[in-house]
Amino acid sequence: MRRKKQVGQAAFTTLNVVFLVLIAATMIIPLWNAVAESFSGSFASMRPGILMWPRDFSLSGYTTIWTVLDLWQPFENSVIVSVLGTLLHVLLSALAGYALAQSGMPGRRFVTGLILITMMIPFEAIMIPFYITMQQLGLLNSLAALILSGMVSGFSVLLMRNFFLSIPGDILESAKIDGAGHFRMFWQICMPLSKAGLATVGLFEFVGRWNNLLTTILLINDSTKNTLQVALNALISGGSSTSSGYLITTNVKMAGIIIAILPLIIAYPFAQKYFVRGIFLGANKE
Amino acid sequence: MKSHKRPYFALLSTSVVAGTLFTNSAFAAQPHKIVQEPTLTIATGVIGGKNPQENAAFADEIGQALHCKVQLISTTGNYDQKLMAMLAAGQKIDVVYTEGSTLAQLAKAGEVTNLQSQIHHSAVLGNSRVVPQWEWNDIKLSSPNGQGIYAVPVKYQGALMPIVRGDWMKELHLSEPKTLNDFYHMFQMFKNKKGAYGLTLSSLYDIQPFMSAVGLKNGYELQKGKFTIPYATPAAVPVYAWLHNLYAKGLLDPNFVTNKTSDERNLFLSGRVGMFVYWDAWVPMLNNLAATQGASASFDAEALPGAVGPGGKRLVSKGDTSVFAIPSNAPNKALAFKFLEWWNTRPGEILGSLGVKGLDYTVKHGKYQLTQLGIDDNMDHGDPEPISSYWKNPFPSMQKGYANARAIGVHYGYQPLINSDWNNAQQIIWQYGDDAILGRLSPKAAVADMHAALLKQHYISQ
Amino acid sequence: MMSADYPRSQMAIPVRHPLVHHVNKWVRAVPLYVMLLPTIAYFVIFTYYPLLHSIFISMQNFNLIGNRPYVGLHNYRHVLTDPTFWSSFENTLFLGISILLIGFVAPIIMALSLNEVLSSWLKRTVQMVIYLPHLFSWVVVGGLWIQLLAPDGGLVNAVLQVMGIAPVQFMSDPNLARWVIILVSVWKDVGFNTVIYLAAMVGINPALYESARVDGANRWHEMGYITIPSLARTMQVVGLLSIMGVLRLFDQIYVMRNAVIEPQVNVLMTYVYDMGFQEMNIGRATASALLILIFTLILTLFTQRLIRVDHS
Repeated sequence: MRRKKQVGQAAFTTLNVVFLVLIAATMIIPLWNAVAESFSGSFASMRPGILMWPRDFSLSGYTTIWTVLDLWQPFENSVIVSVLGTLLHVLLSALAGYALAQSGMPGRRFVTGLILITMMIPFEAIMIPFYITMQQLGLLNSLAALILSGMVSGFSVLLMRNFFLSIPGDILESAKIDGAGHFRMFWQICMPLSKAGLATVGLFEFVGRWNNLLTTILLINDSTKNTLQVALNALISGGSSTSSGYLITTNVKMAGIIIAILPLIIAYPFAQKYFVRGIFLGANKE
Repeated sequence: MKSHKRPYFALLSTSVVAGTLFTNSAFAAQPHKIVQEPTLTIATGVIGGKNPQENAAFADEIGQALHCKVQLISTTGNYDQKLMAMLAAGQKIDVVYTEGSTLAQLAKAGEVTNLQSQIHHSAVLGNSRVVPQWEWNDIKLSSPNGQGIYAVPVKYQGALMPIVRGDWMKELHLSEPKTLNDFYHMFQMFKNKKGAYGLTLSSLYDIQPFMSAVGLKNGYELQKGKFTIPYATPAAVPVYAWLHNLYAKGLLDPNFVTNKTSDERNLFLSGRVGMFVYWDAWVPMLNNLAATQGASASFDAEALPGAVGPGGKRLVSKGDTSVFAIPSNAPNKALAFKFLEWWNTRPGEILGSLGVKGLDYTVKHGKYQLTQLGIDDNMDHGDPEPISSYWKNPFPSMQKGYANARAIGVHYGYQPLINSDWNNAQQIIWQYGDDAILGRLSPKAAVADMHAALLKQHYISQ
Repeated sequence: MMSADYPRSQMAIPVRHPLVHHVNKWVRAVPLYVMLLPTIAYFVIFTYYPLLHSIFISMQNFNLIGNRPYVGLHNYRHVLTDPTFWSSFENTLFLGISILLIGFVAPIIMALSLNEVLSSWLKRTVQMVIYLPHLFSWVVVGGLWIQLLAPDGGLVNAVLQVMGIAPVQFMSDPNLARWVIILVSVWKDVGFNTVIYLAAMVGINPALYESARVDGANRWHEMGYITIPSLARTMQVVGLLSIMGVLRLFDQIYVMRNAVIEPQVNVLMTYVYDMGFQEMNIGRATASALLILIFTLILTLFTQRLIRVDHS
C-alpha cells in the first residue's frame, strides 16, 4: 500500500514539473526571441521568423539606440517616477486597505462602493477631463503630475484590505488589549505582517508605472521630462503608415525592448523574496 | 553628454528630486515672461530631433530665424490623443501638425484658420515654383465644400508605387511590366530563380498599381453627386481574381493579412520578397540602408509605375498629405504664418531634412558633412523631401533611384477622394477583398458582398 | 460562502447599543477616516470630478475649439441605435467571458501546481518566468504571437508542417483568431494572478497542514480541504476585479486585429477608440465609454449578489 502511494506521488510530482516547465517554456519565448534579435546584425535581424539564437552576432542594436536616443535622462526620470510613485502608492493603498478592513467602521460600505466604482471607469471616458483637471492644478508638464496620477488605485486598496483581513484575529486582539491605537496597530503590527501583500502590490504598481505610456505622453510636453517608455515608444511602435523615412531595424527595436524591461527583471527577485517568506515566519516568533 | 558619467542615484538625493518635481510649466514660464519675445508654440508628431538635446537645439534654430521663443511639443506615438486633449483643454497652440483626413474634420468644425488669401499674397508660398498648384488642389480636398485653403504642406508627400528589386530584374532579363500578366510572369521568375515571394502586401494597402490595370481609383468617386467606391464595383473582380491566383500559386506572401508595412520593408530588404508597394521616398532610403548595413552588394531598389489600364493610363495613389495648420484660437497667427513660410525656404528645408547644424551636420568650405547622429537620423527631421523645386539635396549620391520614383509619382499620381467615413468603408473593402484573395469567397461574391455591406452602412449611395 | 472559516470574523463581535454608542462609533472612526483621506481626496479630484465633467461632455456636440452646443441625450441615442455598437457588445461578451472564465481558473491551477513543487530553485525560476509575459507591452506580445502563428515563417506552422499538416491561417480565420486572442490574453496575465494566489498561500497557517497530516490526509485532501478553501477570499477579489475589467478589453484586440477578423473581434473599447480618435467625435465617444461604465455597474451588482465580497 505504502509503496504504491509513494509511486503515485512520484508520478504526480514528475507530471506536475513537466506541466510547469512546458508552460514556462512558452513564456520564455518572447524574452528569448527579443534577446536573440537584439544581438543580431541589423540585416540578419530583419529576416522573418522567430529567432532563438542571434544571427550574425552584433552589438549594433544597442550602440545605435544609445547614440540616437540619449537615454540617461529618460532613465533617470523613469526611476524617479516609478520609485517615488510606487512608495507613495503602496503606503496610501495600505492605509486605505487597513481602514476598510475594520468591520466596525461606519460608512465602510459606502466608501468601498466609491472605490469599487473607480475601477470600472474606462480611462478613455475621463481622459480629457482628467487632463483638464491636471491643467487647472498647474501640474501639466511636471514629474509631480506623473507621480500623483495613479497615486492610489482601487485594485491595490482591495488587495491590501484582503491581506489585512487574513491577519489572525488573536494577534490583533492582544495588541488591542495593550491599548494600541489604529496608527500603531497599522504601522507596528499589520504592516510588518503583510510584507507579502506589500511586495505584491508594490511589484504590480512598479511594473505598471515603469511601463506607463499614455499618461506620460498626455501630461509631459518637454522632452527632457520624458520617461524611458516614451523615449523608446518612437522606435517600438514605429509609425507604419506615414511616409516618414526613419527605418528602425529589428535589432535596434528589440534592444529598446530589452533595455526597457531589464530593470523589471532585475527588480523581480527582490519582491519575490517576500512571496516565499510569508507572515507566519514572523508570527511564529511570538 | 556630461550627464552620462553621473550615476543616476545621485539624482535621487532629496534636494535634486524636489527641484525636478516642481519645475512644471507654470513655474518655469515665470522668468521668461519678462522677455518681450513672443513664444511660438508648435505641436507636432514627427518634426524635430530624436532626443531631448537635439529637440531643444531644433527649437532654438527656429527661434533664432524668427526672433522668438519656440516651444516645440513633439509627441512620438499617440499624437492624436495628445493633440485632442490639448485643444479640448483650451491650450493655445500656434501651429499644429496634422494629416489631410484629420484636417477635413478640423476645417469642417471651423477649428483651423483659412489661409488662402495669406498664401496668395505670400512671396514664398504664393510662388508656384515653391509649392506647385496641384499641392494646393490636393489640400483643398480637405476643405469644407472644397473652398479655402486651411493648411500648408509639411513636405513632398509622394506616392505609393511598386518597389522592385531592380538587380533581380536585370539579372533575369525582365523588362518593365505593363500588364497584370507581365507582373505575374515576373513574380514567377522571382519565385523560381530567387526562392522569394513575388509580392507582399499589407492587407489591401496598397493595390492601386494593380487596380490600375482596370482603371479604378482608390477612395471614393463622385458621380453625378453620388458617392461610389470603384474598388467595390464589378470592374474590380478580375484584379481580386488575379491576386487570389497569386496567393494560390504561392507567389504572394501568405502573411499579407497580418503584415504591417514595417514587415513588408523587412521582407524586401532581407530578400524574401521581390516587390512591395510603398512610398517613392523609400527607394533611396532602402538603397542607402542596403549599402551601409551590408545587404547583398548588388541590391538595387527601383520604382515602377502601375499596370497599364484602359486608354493607356497608369495610376498610383498619393498619400494622405502631412500638413501644418493654424488653430482658429492661435495667439500668434502672424508669427505662425511666418514659420510656415520659413519652413519652405532653404534654411527651413535644411533643418527639416539634414537637421541641426553642429549636431547632425557640419559645413566645411561650403561642403556639407553628416555626423554619426546625422547618418542615424537618415536626413529626416520631418521634411525629408522638401516640395520646392529650388531644393537640391546636398548629398546627390544618397538619392539613388529617387528621381525616377518621384517622376512616377508626379506623372501618374492622383489624390484619392476620402471623407470622414473612409476609415470604416476601407475596413469593409479590405475585409471582403482579403477573403477573396484567400479564396474564402469567389471574387465575384466578395465584390457583391462588399458592395452590399457598404450600401447598408450608407457609406455609398449607389 | 467560505467566509465562516475565515479567522478575522471571530473578532467581529456584534455590538448593539443605543444612540450614544452610535455617535461614539463615528468618533472612534476618526483615525480610520484620516487614513482614508488621501485616497478619498484623490478619487474625488482625479476620478469623480473628471467623471462629472465627462457626463457634460457626453451631452454636448463637443468641438475641440469653439462652441459646444448642448444636445441632450442625442449622443447616447445615436450610440444605442448603432448596429456596430451592438455587434461590438456581442463580441465583448464572447471574448470577455471566455477570458474571464479561463483566466480565472488558470492561475489557480498554476499556483496549486507551483505549491506542490518542492525544489525551491525550480519554484522560484518558474514563478519568475511565468511573470515575464506580463512585463512586455501588448504591442510586443501581440506582434510576437502574430509572428509565431504566421503561415510563412511561424514556429507553430513549422511544427504542424513537420507533422504533415498544411499551414493554418490562424489570424485571418475569424473563428480561430478569436480563440487565439482569448488564449494569448490568458497566457499573458496568468503569471500576474498566480503571484496573488501564491502570496495568499504564504499566509495559510502551517499548523493546519500539520494537523491534517497527523490525521492521515494526502496531498489531494490537503489541497481540497485546506489550500483551496483558504484561497476563497482571494478568489472572490480576483474574480470581482476581472469582472469589472471584462467590458474594458482593449489592448490585445487593438494590436492583434486585422481587416478580415475585425467584425468578429472588435469590442466596445475599440468602438470608443475608433469613435474618439479616428472620427474625432468626442461627445459620442464619451457617451459610449460612459455606457460601458453603466453596463459594468449592472454586471458587477448582479455578480455581487452571487459572491458577496463586502460582508464580514
